[in-house]
Amino acid sequence: MTAQPILLDVRDLKVHLRVGPVLVKAIDGVDFQVRHGECVGIVGESGSGKSTMARAVTRLMPNVAIGELSGDLKFEGRDILAMPDRELRSLRRGRGFSMIFQDPLGYLNPTQRIGRQIEEALSRDDAAGSDKARVHALLDEVGLPDPVNLARRYPHELSGGQRQRVMIAIALASGPQLLFADEPTTALDATVQLQVLQTLYRLHRERNMAMAIITHDLGVVAELCDRVYVMRGGKVIETADTVSLFEAPRHDYSRRLIELSARHHNQEARA
Amino acid sequence: MLRFVGRRALYAIPLLFAIVVLMFSMLHLIPGDPVQALVGDYPVPPAYRAAIEEKYRLNDPFLVQVSNYLVNIAQGDFGFSYQNQRAVLDLILERAPRTILLASVSFGLAIPLGMLIGILTGTTRRPGVDKFWTTTALIAYAIPTFWLGQLFVMFFALRLGWFPTQGIGPLVSRAQGFAWLMEKLRYLALPVLAFGIHEGMRIARIMRASVVDTLSQGYIITARAKGLSRGQIIRGHVLRNSSLPLVTIAGYAFGSALGGAVLLETVFTWPGLGLLLVDSIRLRDNMTVVGVVIFSAVAVVVMNLVVDLLYAALDPRIRTMG
Amino acid sequence: MGNSNTAAAPAPAAVNSDRGWRALFAQLLRTRHGSLGAGILIVMALVALMAGMIAPFDPLQQTQTSLSPPTAEYLFGTDNIGRDVFSQVVYGARSSLFVGLGAALAALLVGGTIGILAGYFQGPVEAVLMRVVELFQTLPVIILVLCAVALFGSNFWLLIAAVALAIWPMEARLVYGQYIKLRDREFIAAARVADLSTAHIMFREILPNAIQPVIVQVALDASIAILIEAGLGFLGLSDPDMVSWGRLLFVAQDYMDSAWWMSLFPGAAICLAVVGLNLFADGLNEVIDPRSGGATGGLQ
Repeated sequence: MTAQPILLDVRDLKVHLRVGPVLVKAIDGVDFQVRHGECVGIVGESGSGKSTMARAVTRLMPNVAIGELSGDLKFEGRDILAMPDRELRSLRRGRGFSMIFQDPLGYLNPTQRIGRQIEEALSRDDAAGSDKARVHALLDEVGLPDPVNLARRYPHELSGGQRQRVMIAIALASGPQLLFADEPTTALDATVQLQVLQTLYRLHRERNMAMAIITHDLGVVAELCDRVYVMRGGKVIETADTVSLFEAPRHDYSRRLIELSARHHNQEARA
Repeated sequence: MLRFVGRRALYAIPLLFAIVVLMFSMLHLIPGDPVQALVGDYPVPPAYRAAIEEKYRLNDPFLVQVSNYLVNIAQGDFGFSYQNQRAVLDLILERAPRTILLASVSFGLAIPLGMLIGILTGTTRRPGVDKFWTTTALIAYAIPTFWLGQLFVMFFALRLGWFPTQGIGPLVSRAQGFAWLMEKLRYLALPVLAFGIHEGMRIARIMRASVVDTLSQGYIITARAKGLSRGQIIRGHVLRNSSLPLVTIAGYAFGSALGGAVLLETVFTWPGLGLLLVDSIRLRDNMTVVGVVIFSAVAVVVMNLVVDLLYAALDPRIRTMG
Repeated sequence: MGNSNTAAAPAPAAVNSDRGWRALFAQLLRTRHGSLGAGILIVMALVALMAGMIAPFDPLQQTQTSLSPPTAEYLFGTDNIGRDVFSQVVYGARSSLFVGLGAALAALLVGGTIGILAGYFQGPVEAVLMRVVELFQTLPVIILVLCAVALFGSNFWLLIAAVALAIWPMEARLVYGQYIKLRDREFIAAARVADLSTAHIMFREILPNAIQPVIVQVALDASIAILIEAGLGFLGLSDPDMVSWGRLLFVAQDYMDSAWWMSLFPGAAICLAVVGLNLFADGLNEVIDPRSGGATGGLQ
């Protein structure tokens, strides 16, 4: 695969959080890159810092007491951390990056119709078609049937898998170059998981859109990602392309993760 | 949704029933001469006495009296006020609109005020703003409405002379059209301010808590991820979702409004239902007292039903699931 | 950080009963609200207790100087029959605080018992009891209280009972909620297995953990009780033998045009007491649930 130019370049990222009297080094000097059109996996167990990484890079941290947030973050050569709010927002609204989350029910507004929520995310450039048409097209693109009716529904009327697809539609609405997915399938049933993953892969290919998948499940990584970063305790302990990692993991920890994942998937297959 | 409302309506009926029985029992428990208890501090000529005993079946067992009373109430006969020489229901219907006027204008002030302050303090990034308004709200909430009323009267009416000190209007009013409206507003101003500020601060506290809670929800992060501005997020997501809990307390607010009306109308001698209640208590016109209480209770129950309907209409989760 | 579902910060561990009451109190005093509130309350309690030493005059003593504005001798002025307002306010602290706290505790007793019973026995008992709570909550209780007092008199203890009548549903709801939260926890099951008696479970296992929000509610209830009692006094329905702030405002009503001090000072006292209790409750709330203090949860 020819090396595409680097889209997201993160160097020496540090995120220290203040939890009560303690300073937690959630991320302690991490480097990672995502190139145009590639799919990168960030794996680790709970507390490894992987989720924090996605949130920090996209500047979507919740209002926790941040002790330190530093590093060299560049998206298309632009400094993300120093970026003023307005610029950041326009980046999110078009051709920048988007994010989907683990808990689609909590992350969708329960009092707003699906269509409206997607519409809100549409990029404002002169795109073809009315807003409604674009919303329907997006719903269709993520594999949801009967978009016209679905757009009028509320989140609680949909199944978990459908909600996650809606989240993806929202993320795609702005035409991002990079999609972050924070545990995209963890909250879903096993059968639905695979379908959503396949949808993600298809979108990745069709749109030539880079993806950064954060997960604890190496099975997901195996499905989608070209390269993997393994995180532990706020640091990246190993990085390789997917095939190499699975065939010859250099770290014991990575090996354990792979084994755990395999066992988990075997159990599920048997169930 | 119909199921939801139907269930609530079904609760209302035994509730009303219980209220009426409760009130009647309280009447029954007043020590002393039962006829005097019904009539109050009004001397009772023997002819009246016989008539009252007959009408309320005072010599019959308790259950008979209760059912008799219930039947009367159902027919709209709340009794007769000997002090005022009028049917109790008449009195109530004459006074009630004035209290409703006071309460509705006050809430017309309180609700937007409270929501505004609530959103402001809940979303502000500057802790100073939050602290200031929260403290102000706390103090305003701690001030008893009737004391605030007294302060207003003493300052704005007596000292500055901008407003009248009491009442609902001048004894004789020849004002027309716009002047008539202005006159009415002058009399409304102070009581509405006293009531509205107090209730507004109470709403502000609740709204703030609701806003803080809403802001911690996941979909706010989604909204940020979409690139929406603070203003857009507040207008589009925070406002609506934070307002829902307000609707639930609207029912209680109505009940407390009645209580507040009692006190406020006393300060301003506003001839509404509250003042009627207080005067009747003073004169021991218990028939009227009980009548007003039952009427208020019914009003509150009905109001709560309306509020439940409103909530069901606003929250899509209930609207579609029933 | 792990897989956080929502945006909420990882909450520091709630204050455990293991940490003890002293630690709780110390933490409370570190919050601005808590220390201010506690300070006000302590001052008021002292004033109430030592009223005899603080008040320069007997509150009911009539003097010749009636309707005098505040002077060096009569700090808050005198009322229409020459009673010293300052002394009245000082002595008024007794009845107001007593009724306020008394009613709040009575409400806790009644409401708490009902809440626990409903939670413990579950089933139809639970349903019926909670309906009764709802009934009392939706009624315009101020009016009921007025009614009760009007019909049955304004004896001091009756007053406490009447005010408690207005606020017990909130306690019942809270205690019930707390009970429900803890009812399914493991240590209850463990205690059951160990065959401990019902009362033991209720008092030794549940109480320490559930008690914190209850204290907050009691403080809030006391503030509401003080406001209700003041209202009753204002309408002339409080115990005529006791000096109470509300009653002082009742007397002041007729002298609004001539003696502003008769209204200002008793009212300010009520305000202060309510603020003190609410600050105390807020401070306590901040200690046991830190999230309630911060604004801008997810908005930046």
